[in-house]
Amino acid sequence: MALGGITFKHEKVGCAMLAGGNAHPYAPGTKPELLPVWDKNLCVRCALCYIYCPHAAINRLDDGFFGVNQNFCTGCGICHRECWFGAVSMQEVD
Amino acid sequence: MDKYSLYAAQFLGFKEHFLPKGHHACQGCGVALAVRHVYKALDRYNVAIENANWQIPWSPHLPLDTTSHPNTTTPSLLTILKKGKDEQISAPLMICFDNETSKNGADTTNLLKRIPAIAAAAGYTYAATACPSHPFDLIEKVRTGWERHGAAYIHILCPCPVAWGFEPQYAVRIGRMAVETRIFPLYEIAGGYYRITCEDEYPRPVKEYIKAQKRFAAWSAKKIESFEQDVKAAYDMLIGQCRTSSSQ
Repeated sequence: MALGGITFKHEKVGCAMLAGGNAHPYAPGTKPELLPVWDKNLCVRCALCYIYCPHAAINRLDDGFFGVNQNFCTGCGICHRECWFGAVSMQEVD
Repeated sequence: MDKYSLYAAQFLGFKEHFLPKGHHACQGCGVALAVRHVYKALDRYNVAIENANWQIPWSPHLPLDTTSHPNTTTPSLLTILKKGKDEQISAPLMICFDNETSKNGADTTNLLKRIPAIAAAAGYTYAATACPSHPFDLIEKVRTGWERHGAAYIHILCPCPVAWGFEPQYAVRIGRMAVETRIFPLYEIAGGYYRITCEDEYPRPVKEYIKAQKRFAAWSAKKIESFEQDVKAAYDMLIGQCRTSSSQ
């Protein structure tokens, strides 16, 4: 569709979606800007990041270290701020 | 503090009862953190918290209809009925999640809480203050309130990054600062006996807490100074109550 020389590849006029199935639900916090990443050389497995997570997004892995559930994490950075050893860093994850 | 007390969080267990799937809390929400700790504390008693009286705006147990929600400017209240051994006597365990977002929340009189003392005077056998920045203290108080005979009241200060005006990553740190500056001292009133559960000999300056938040941006130096004196007077009164109640 061309409008005065400008070409829209995907969108119709007014961004109208004429076909169904274009939207699907996301869990809260699906797209945070930053996600915590654990440095296993510094982590002492004290579980402080786990106890301070407001959204219960941090879970313990089988080897005793901790990981994040990307569906629930909002990227607030409390775990990064509260870690005594600087093992948690906030990084952009695709 | 010895080097092993860092691992105290391991003893709480890793079973999660708080379902984050449905809640709509913001980044770094103090209320969500406090609710999660309350869930963890009442884990061993087989309490159906879902059936309790919830007054929390974003709770997953409420429908998404905004008209039925309580006013967000009032403190959120969770009331659970404790059943006695003979199933006849039931007393409430009331937990107030206070994020100080009322219209005059930044007023000096509202920052210094006197509600636990009022609850104790009204016949509650256990009244306490808690903060999610001290999670083991909070969990211990909720369990004590559940196990003690009679009605219990727990006042929890929950930092709110949106209303208070600070970065979400400082949510726990601001709560700890409120305790360490003695603006929100952690104490409990068990059967009329006052006890301070978290005491530092040298408090932080009140100015640090004021400067860290945007809601106090309009405060003048004179007002901060008078507020410092109010905090000191309130804490001295609390210590006096501790001494008089223990000497009787």
